Amino acid sequence: MITDERDEVIDRAARSLSALPMVNPMAVLEITAAAAVHRSMRPARARAVLGWFRRPSLSLASTGLLMAAALVVGFVTRAALTGAAETLGTQTSEHPVLTPAADAGAASRGVPVPMVYDAKNARSVTVVGDFNSWDPAATPMTRVGVDGPWAATVFAKPGRHVYAFLVDGTTLVADPRSPRARDNDYGGDASVLMVPTP
Amino acid sequence: MNEIDPAVPLRARAGDEKAFIEIVEYYYPRCLRFARNMLGSDQDAEEAVQDAFVRVFDSFPRFREDARFDPWLFRILANRCRTIHARSRRHQSLIEYGDLPVSAAAAPEEEEFGADWAEEVRVILETLPVEQKEAFLLRHVEDLSYEDIAAVTGVGLSALRMRVKRACDTLRARLTKVEK
Amino acid sequence: MTTRTSLLTIAALLVAAAGVAGAQDARLALIRDNATRDVVNAQLVSASSMRLPAEPFVSKALEGVAKKATLKSIRSAMAALEKRMKTAYDLLGPSATVDELAAGADAISMGVSEKTIKQMRDRAPNRSIAMELGVITELVARGVPAKKAAAMMLDLMARGATGVQLTALGRDVQGDVAAGLKPDVALDLRGRGVLSLLPPPPTVSNVNVRPR
Repeated sequence: MITDERDEVIDRAARSLSALPMVNPMAVLEITAAAAVHRSMRPARARAVLGWFRRPSLSLASTGLLMAAALVVGFVTRAALTGAAETLGTQTSEHPVLTPAADAGAASRGVPVPMVYDAKNARSVTVVGDFNSWDPAATPMTRVGVDGPWAATVFAKPGRHVYAFLVDGTTLVADPRSPRARDNDYGGDASVLMVPTP
Repeated sequence: MNEIDPAVPLRARAGDEKAFIEIVEYYYPRCLRFARNMLGSDQDAEEAVQDAFVRVFDSFPRFREDARFDPWLFRILANRCRTIHARSRRHQSLIEYGDLPVSAAAAPEEEEFGADWAEEVRVILETLPVEQKEAFLLRHVEDLSYEDIAAVTGVGLSALRMRVKRACDTLRARLTKVEK
Repeated sequence: MTTRTSLLTIAALLVAAAGVAGAQDARLALIRDNATRDVVNAQLVSASSMRLPAEPFVSKALEGVAKKATLKSIRSAMAALEKRMKTAYDLLGPSATVDELAAGADAISMGVSEKTIKQMRDRAPNRSIAMELGVITELVARGVPAKKAAAMMLDLMARGATGVQLTALGRDVQGDVAAGLKPDVALDLRGRGVLSLLPPPPTVSNVNVRPR
C-alpha cells in the first residue's frame, strides 16, 4: 500500500502552488454573460466559430466591458461547437479542434465576427452592414445581462466591410471602437470592419 | 476544500442562470489555479477554464442529481487541460507573443518561500509526466480525495497513488538538492 | 435586328427583371417609399442587363434607406455604383465573383487606380482577390497614398502573402494610424514586417515568364 507521503518539502511545494490567482473580473463576466446569451445562439450558425476566436486582434480599441462582451459572443458560439461531444472521464479523449475552414459551409457563410455596442437606454439594437445587405431585421443584438452592452455575431467574408448599429430602429450610429468609414455616396455614420481570413 | 451548496448545481441544471453565475464565481479562481499549474501559461489556462465552464453549461442535462459537483467539474476541466496541453506540446517550438509563462508573474504568496524556490517548484512540475502532475495537483493542491481523483481521471486508486508518489519523489529529490 | 429577335430580347429582359425583382422581394419590401422602390427595381433591371449582380445594388439601396438618404441621393448612389461595378467587371473579368466586384467597386470609390486593380487580378488570375481589394481599399481610406498602397500590395501578393497576413496588415495600419502614426510610415513599417516573413522575391527570369 502506497501511503500519502506529505512531508515538509511536499507541503511547502504544494503551498507554493496553491496561491489562488488574481481573477480578471472580465473573464468571469465573459463566462456568466455567455450563459445569458447562450440559448439564443443557433448551433448551426455557431458551427463556424471555433478556432477563429483565438485570433488576438479582433478589433482596434479593445478595452473594458465592451470587449469582454465581444468575447462573450464568439466564446459562446465557440462553445456550441466544442460542447456537443463532451465525453467525460476518458483519459485520452481529445476533442478535435474544428476551424471554419474545416466546415464545408463556412466559406459561403463567412467568418463569425462578434459585435458589441454599449447603449444602456436603447430598446433594441441591430447590426446593419454590407455583410447583411443593411437589412435591419437580419442581425438583432441581444442585451448582455440586465443593463449590459448589446452583442451579436455577424458572418462576413474576409476583407473590408462597412457597418453601423441601428438603435431603436431609427438612429444609425457608428461603432465607436472601430475606424470610421468614409462614404462618398451617402456620407453618414458607419465603421469599418476588417475580417481576417480564417 | 468547501464545496458549493449542492442545491446550486441542481438549480443550474434546471436552467437557472443565476445559479450558473454563482458556480462560475465560486469556482473560477480554483479552476484557474489548477489550469495554470497544469499548463504553465496564463493564456492557455484561461482558455481551458473558459472552455470548461461552457462545457459545464452545455453538459448540465447530463449531470446526475445524486452526483457531487466538484469531481464532475474537475473532470471536465482536466479534460480541457489535457487537450490544450497536447496541443501546446505540438506547437511548443513556436514562440507565442503575449503568452507569458506563469512564472513571469509571481504571486505574492510565493515570497513566503522566496521566488526562486517557488520558481523551482514550477520548473520541476513542468518536467513531470502530465499524468503525474495532474494527480499531484489534484491531490495536494486541490485537496481532492483519491476517490474523487479517480472520478476525475477515470484511473484506478492504486495507479493514482503511484502517480502521486512518483511526483512527490521527484519533487522531494530535486527540491532537497536545491536547498543544499 | 429583326422583329422576332427584338421581341425575344424584350421577353428575356422582362423575365430577367421579374426574376431579379422576385428574388429580392423580401428585402425591397423594407423600402417603404414607393418611388424609391421603383428606382431600385429599375436599377436592378439595368444591372441585370449588364450582367452585374443584384446584391451590391440592394445593399447600397438599403444602406441609403438606413441612412435616411433622399430619393435623389439614392438614385445617384445607385448610378455611381453601376458605373464602378461595370469598371470593376471589365478589370476583373467575367469570372469575377460578386464579392470581388463589390470590393473592386469599393476600391475604385476610394481612389485605387484601375491599373492597380488590373495588376492585382494579373497577380492572382485564378482565385478571388476580394480580400486583397478590401485591404488596399482600407489602406487608402486610412490615408496611405494610393500609389504607395498599390506598390506594397502588389509586392506582397507577388511574394505570396497569405490572407491572414494581409488582413492583419490592414488592421495593424488602422491601429497605427489611430494611434497617430503617419499612414505611409505605418504601411511601410507593417508591410516590411510581413515581407520579412516571406520567401525572397522571384528572380527576374521568373518574373518575365507570364502566362499569356
